[in-house]
Amino acid sequence: MSDNSFTGRSEATKADVSAIQVDDPILEMRDASVTFDMDRGESRVLDQVNLDVQRNEILGVVGESGSGKSMFASALLDAVVDPGTLSGDITYHPDPDRSVDVLDLSPEQLRELRWEEISMVFQGAQSSFNPTTTIRDHFEETIEAHNYDMAQGMAHARELLEDLYLEPDRVLDAYPHELSGGMQQRALIALSLVLEPNVLVMDEPTAALDLLMQRSILSLLNDLQEKYDLTVVFITHDLPLVAGLADRLAVMYAFEFAEVGPADEIIRNPTHPYTRSLLKAVPNLDTPLQEMQPIEGMAPDPVDVPEGCSYHPRCPLADDVCRASNPAYHAVDDSDDHVAACFHWEQASDVLSLTTDGETEHAEIVGKQSADPVVSLTDVDVHFEQEADGGLLSIFDDPDLVHAVDDVSLDVYENDVVALVGESGCGKTTLGKTSIAAQRPTGGSVTYREQDVWDAKDGVGDVETPFEAIRRSLQMVHQDPGGSLNPNRKVQASLEAPLKHWNTGMDAEDRKERVFSMLEYVGMSPPEDYAGRYPHQLSGGEQQRVALIRALLMNPDLILADEAVSALDVSLRVEVMDLMLELQDVFDTSYLFISHNLSNARYFAGNAGGRIGVMYLGEIVEIGPAEEIIANPKHPYTKVLKWSTADLEVDQDVEEPPISSIDIPDPVDPPSGCRFHTRCPEAREACARQQPSLDEHASDDEHRVACFREYDQSHEYWESEPIDDGESTDLFADGSDAAEIESDD
Amino acid sequence: MINSYYVQRTAQAIFTVFAVITITFVLIRQIPGGPTSYVRSQLAQQSGSVDMEQINTLVEAYTNVRPDEPLYVQYFNYITSVAQGDLGTSMYYSTPVSEIMAAAVPWTVFVMSVSLVLTFGIGISLGALTAYVEGSRFDVGLTLISIFLNSIPYYVLAIILVYALGYQLDWFPIGGLVGGDVTVGLNLGFIASAIYHAALPIASFVVTGFGIQALTMRGNSIRVLGEDYIRVARLRGIPPSEIALQYVGRNAILPMYTGMMISIGFMFGGSIIMEEIFAYPGVGYYMFRAISASDYPLMMGAFLIITIAVVLGIFVADLTYGKIDPRAGQGGNRESY
Ligand code: SF4
Ligand code: SF4
Repeated sequence: MSDNSFTGRSEATKADVSAIQVDDPILEMRDASVTFDMDRGESRVLDQVNLDVQRNEILGVVGESGSGKSMFASALLDAVVDPGTLSGDITYHPDPDRSVDVLDLSPEQLRELRWEEISMVFQGAQSSFNPTTTIRDHFEETIEAHNYDMAQGMAHARELLEDLYLEPDRVLDAYPHELSGGMQQRALIALSLVLEPNVLVMDEPTAALDLLMQRSILSLLNDLQEKYDLTVVFITHDLPLVAGLADRLAVMYAFEFAEVGPADEIIRNPTHPYTRSLLKAVPNLDTPLQEMQPIEGMAPDPVDVPEGCSYHPRCPLADDVCRASNPAYHAVDDSDDHVAACFHWEQASDVLSLTTDGETEHAEIVGKQSADPVVSLTDVDVHFEQEADGGLLSIFDDPDLVHAVDDVSLDVYENDVVALVGESGCGKTTLGKTSIAAQRPTGGSVTYREQDVWDAKDGVGDVETPFEAIRRSLQMVHQDPGGSLNPNRKVQASLEAPLKHWNTGMDAEDRKERVFSMLEYVGMSPPEDYAGRYPHQLSGGEQQRVALIRALLMNPDLILADEAVSALDVSLRVEVMDLMLELQDVFDTSYLFISHNLSNARYFAGNAGGRIGVMYLGEIVEIGPAEEIIANPKHPYTKVLKWSTADLEVDQDVEEPPISSIDIPDPVDPPSGCRFHTRCPEAREACARQQPSLDEHASDDEHRVACFREYDQSHEYWESEPIDDGESTDLFADGSDAAEIESDD
Repeated sequence: MINSYYVQRTAQAIFTVFAVITITFVLIRQIPGGPTSYVRSQLAQQSGSVDMEQINTLVEAYTNVRPDEPLYVQYFNYITSVAQGDLGTSMYYSTPVSEIMAAAVPWTVFVMSVSLVLTFGIGISLGALTAYVEGSRFDVGLTLISIFLNSIPYYVLAIILVYALGYQLDWFPIGGLVGGDVTVGLNLGFIASAIYHAALPIASFVVTGFGIQALTMRGNSIRVLGEDYIRVARLRGIPPSEIALQYVGRNAILPMYTGMMISIGFMFGGSIIMEEIFAYPGVGYYMFRAISASDYPLMMGAFLIITIAVVLGIFVADLTYGKIDPRAGQGGNRESY
């Protein structure tokens, strides 16, 4: 239809489009722009984008938040939300000889195109489902709305759910909120494939999930793509995540593509300065700590994109040419399939060097922890009662007891950094809160400088340090800084409140001084300006800084940082972690850092010579010096976590996870023996009966592991039979109840 | 152990009713000009001589409590008789209070349930409609009317209606339950007459009540229309009518359910004034009469019934909400760990 109309025009805007064209395109996008009219002017959130999607490929689209990548996704289905307007050409080729002009369809034709031909998976599965109807209803109404055969459709739905390692009956009968985040996301993927579309567009489909779940879903996606001959467009902010999965990568910056090419090419030979910086900014397990650097500056405002090359304000190579004109795509090699929109692409590799070789020496970083613990946990248990929701008749049922933390001992020293890692629902948040006396343990004791915290609270025995003082010395920074700051109070007021309360000796002038100097210190200057703002007028990174200052103003001994950087963009994370470490030097605080991401934990704890503790179902299964845990993980679960932390290696294809069940078991009824045995690839029968302990066999005092494989050869583990695993039927045997542990940690 | 939520709610409900009974008991004994002095003055007027024994017997006949017994015995007697459904005897009508109430309750329930259904039916439909055409003239106009009507107190409208349509135009009766000429029973004439007599009270409730429901529904619907799942449903090709009912309607109405139950209690309270204005002998009418005649036993009986209705409404709302909205009972107590 529109085959020849666009060629001439796109040639005019971009000098060389050869590489963004492919030989057998299933989707062609030419000159596509999305604009919104705003009071401040026209906001252009997709800017004359040209790109083809190859039939049966997995295309990874990578960009920071606000780069226009979601708009690109919506545009492929002509599903841009009102009042945005989409212009340009989008052509869909159901087979090589037919073409459909997507923007020229009648409403009914468009309705058929969506989901039957091109389908979409959104970020945040929870909000994509109608909360008041079951998953089954969602499948049935979709099948019905498109007049497909119901029995066949539901049979296909079941098959898809099984392909995604879900139990069809259980999932279909559940309401969305009864499933864990990972299950919801997989159910949503199944729902998007139920009408057997050719193209699946996925917009950050795994962003809200644990790394392990993300990687597991990715490997399932790889299988699905092969099984059903899908074309997948995978949109993400996480370059390493998609690098192993995608055939081609397209890097987006400022509402257009900066670099497009085969995935291994982009990773091995990134050419656009932005791509190179992006790779450098991502904490990963192989790059030496000293080499990681944040990208300076901010992503551009869609109303006011810089003249010339939109990246020039942040680009270390920028010169007058870049400021004056917009670079065209240049082919990076002879094959023409790797292009970058940059004038100085040839120099980029010299200026921005990357060390991607695996073999790198890392300087030993020595922490300066004291010998005496600040906070000491001994045999701590935290069990919650969970109410049955079976209605009136369940009045007499026992409430379920959730084992959030079971028998954990941990010492945190002065100037210490301990990073706790584990999946959602492993109890790391609860353990964190228990350590800062925000959660009362149901067993064991928590002491602060030798004073039992809860005795102090209850006034039992001689109380040397009052509870109030303890609470003040133990502070917390949340994952969502916006939520923890009062939206109706200016930064100044939020920060002064604790000073007023605790430091009555200060007068108003002193307080102001103090707040200003702190703001200045964390790089928010001029402080007068920032102090007068409301939280919503700050960016995510700035909010997190304010939350950090608020905690630090109390001169705390320990700060609990609960996923404090997870909500930030990848390029900002390193920056905020650096700041936190810098502040540790100045204020002599310790950190308890909670994350589901092993790379973040390694960056944070590693840079302070701290420790990493790995938690699984309420227990610490391995703990030791950060670099030691990364370089030499011993517990099978730690190895799984390490696998899930995507390395920038494209050679290795997406492999099966080294784990025999994707979903975490129900903490209401944790498995017997070693709690990991239901998922452990090394599990033997002894593991189901006996529980390995963290200390008994400690050959090395620093690095301790709770696994029988670390016991000596005389242990009966070595004699017992392996537990049969790896069968797909086993994969959901234990995990399906994970629904109840859906949580926000 | 037992499921604490339901136990807690049930205990709370029972406690509230119990507290009300206790308060009524205390009031009977303590208020100056309470039944004892009322009976005493009646007797004094009749015979001139006041025999304490006679007073006590009479007071017991009316209120089930003998003033000369020890306090705990009185309290125990009162509770047991209330529990047996014996609410004492009306001084004004000289009939057992329970009989008066048994005759009155069905009429009040009739007026209220019709009002409730109409208030919510009209409110929800208009609210959904305005949400879909948000910002249009129809939306703005209807929203203004809703706010205006909602700001009129129901009794003011009731007085206007009874004055204009009852006294002046004589279109509607100004009192009574049914016309005198119909035979009681399930016949057309009786039902028509009952509706005819209840029309004005119902209208007063509905006209002043639907506005707030329409506004709530409008707000909820607009919020739901902005949810991701609506967008996803549209992309999935779900027909608009189904989206309107299954998605928008369902998710917008559910949060209003509790409010609906609670307004049952609210309307019972409102019936006191309403039924007086329309001379409609329901629970409220008798309550009002009892107050003006210092008829304590009747007053307490009516008060008790209204309280129980309120408590029951809230209790049922609490217990059933979990059944109706699959998300209830999960959100609040889900821990993060
Ligand atoms: S064109 Fe210039 S500013 Fe843009 S990325 Fe290349 S070197 Fe940097
Ligand atoms: S004890 Fe057994 S089941 Fe547990 S981690 Fe070690 S090998 Fe696996």
